[in-house]
Amino acid sequence: MPHMISMRGVEKIYPPDKPALTDCNVEIESGEFVFLVGHSGSGKSTFIKLLQREILPTRGQIIVAGQDVVRLKNWKVPYLRRNIGCVFQDFKLLPNKTTYENVAFALEVIGRSRHVIRTQVPEVLRLVGLEEKTTSYPDELSGGEQQRVSIARAFVNRPPILLADEPTGNLDPATSLGIMSLFNRINKTGTTVLVATHDREMVDSMRKRVIALESGRVIRDQHRGVYGYGD
Amino acid sequence: MGINLGYFARESFTNFRRNWVMSLGAVITIYLSLLLIGVSLVAGVVLTEIVKSVEDKVSVQVFLKDGAATEDVQALQAFVKTDPLVKSVEYTSKEEALVRFKEQMSTSPEILEQIDDNPLPASLDIELTDPREVESVVAKVRGSDLFLKVADRPDDPEKSLKYGEGIVRKLFAFTRIVRMVVAVFVVMLAGVSLIFINNTIRLAIYARRKEIGIMRLVGASNWFIRTPFLMEGVLQSLLGAVLAIASVLVLRSAILPRLREAVPFLPVGITVSTMVQLSLILTLAGVLIGLIGSGFALRKYLRV
Repeated sequence: MPHMISMRGVEKIYPPDKPALTDCNVEIESGEFVFLVGHSGSGKSTFIKLLQREILPTRGQIIVAGQDVVRLKNWKVPYLRRNIGCVFQDFKLLPNKTTYENVAFALEVIGRSRHVIRTQVPEVLRLVGLEEKTTSYPDELSGGEQQRVSIARAFVNRPPILLADEPTGNLDPATSLGIMSLFNRINKTGTTVLVATHDREMVDSMRKRVIALESGRVIRDQHRGVYGYGD
Repeated sequence: MGINLGYFARESFTNFRRNWVMSLGAVITIYLSLLLIGVSLVAGVVLTEIVKSVEDKVSVQVFLKDGAATEDVQALQAFVKTDPLVKSVEYTSKEEALVRFKEQMSTSPEILEQIDDNPLPASLDIELTDPREVESVVAKVRGSDLFLKVADRPDDPEKSLKYGEGIVRKLFAFTRIVRMVVAVFVVMLAGVSLIFINNTIRLAIYARRKEIGIMRLVGASNWFIRTPFLMEGVLQSLLGAVLAIASVLVLRSAILPRLREAVPFLPVGITVSTMVQLSLILTLAGVLIGLIGSGFALRKYLRV
């Protein structure tokens, strides 16, 4: 069984000579729930962007969902991304579309039929608990609700991997808890979940696998870990 | 694909509406350049027709002195006839020349009144298979002894020969210059259209950068993202082309009759099949400009 995500000897240097990741070796199995922790500038976002192939590594090998990301042809990148749901701190919702339309958009643009859209969108909205808000626009929703919409959009295509970059960065602790339990529920369906965060309480309470980055290096990788850093 | 086509059409129309000022600018630019292309093509067709009709009128006249020996004239006629470039050689007597002259001048009787005896010489009229070779035929005639024997003015043989000296050549030179000027203008205007479309599409991309970002995020294929923009560029060009074709048609029906009235001796006319060809050319040129202009913008500003 190949790893769902595998990085070997990955190094990323932003031009001209700013190292962001150095000798990164990580393997994540299918169905795992992993926290990626570290201070700002420790390389978390670079890590996520490399998996999405937003950027290419300076050297090293990256395999995501069975595909060699580094050697992947440009025109195949969209098909890689269909295997990766993405959630961001700023939600990235379209303000002129309703909840339903925002989620449906993700299926529309990858060419899914209307029938598929009509059955999958309500289902995923029920999963994230927004079946009552399908006709609301993003500015009528709370931050937590908006993040749920963005999670619904990331998950509606049932990708094997869900990446989240600071998903609770804009939310209060109570709301964050709800979002995290949602990730947990999604993880229970067999989806591999990787959450980059510096939300200490969250990480400590969930007791999942924790990969800690510092200055672009993996300094700790422990199962049922905590946020760490004694400071 | 059914959904996709609808989606693309909707998207490009929405874009068009959203940036309608820029789109209008692009449409007008394309319209003007295509109009110029169309008008110059029509002018080219008309000019070619005119040149051809003038060519047909090019012939060589050899004037004969009064009382030239008939056998010498016939010998010269036979000699000229041997040239493969010569289509026919006709003998016109003094009397026939006068009759023809009177016919041509029938509208100005006062000139005819001045003539008491017949001042016109007899002549040999040479018609050519290829009017452009007129010079070589003339040289051949000029060099023959028979010609000197029968020429109207042996002291100055040049005066005994009449042909459309250089008319054809001048006409060709003129049309060439016209074509070159038009070509330069067309190329420049096509360049301007490309830049305009490029700009419009760039704005459209900028206006929708958020949507594009999300499309990339969820894995929309590159062509899915690009197609609405390409279609927008083509849509603008097609509009410009339709306007240009309509204008050429209007111009044709407005100007041609007047032109025909002004120069009734020239065959000025455009056939329906020429117009159909022209419309096809303009449409095709429009689509090409649209595709290239927006394609260039996509390459530069939409790295998907």
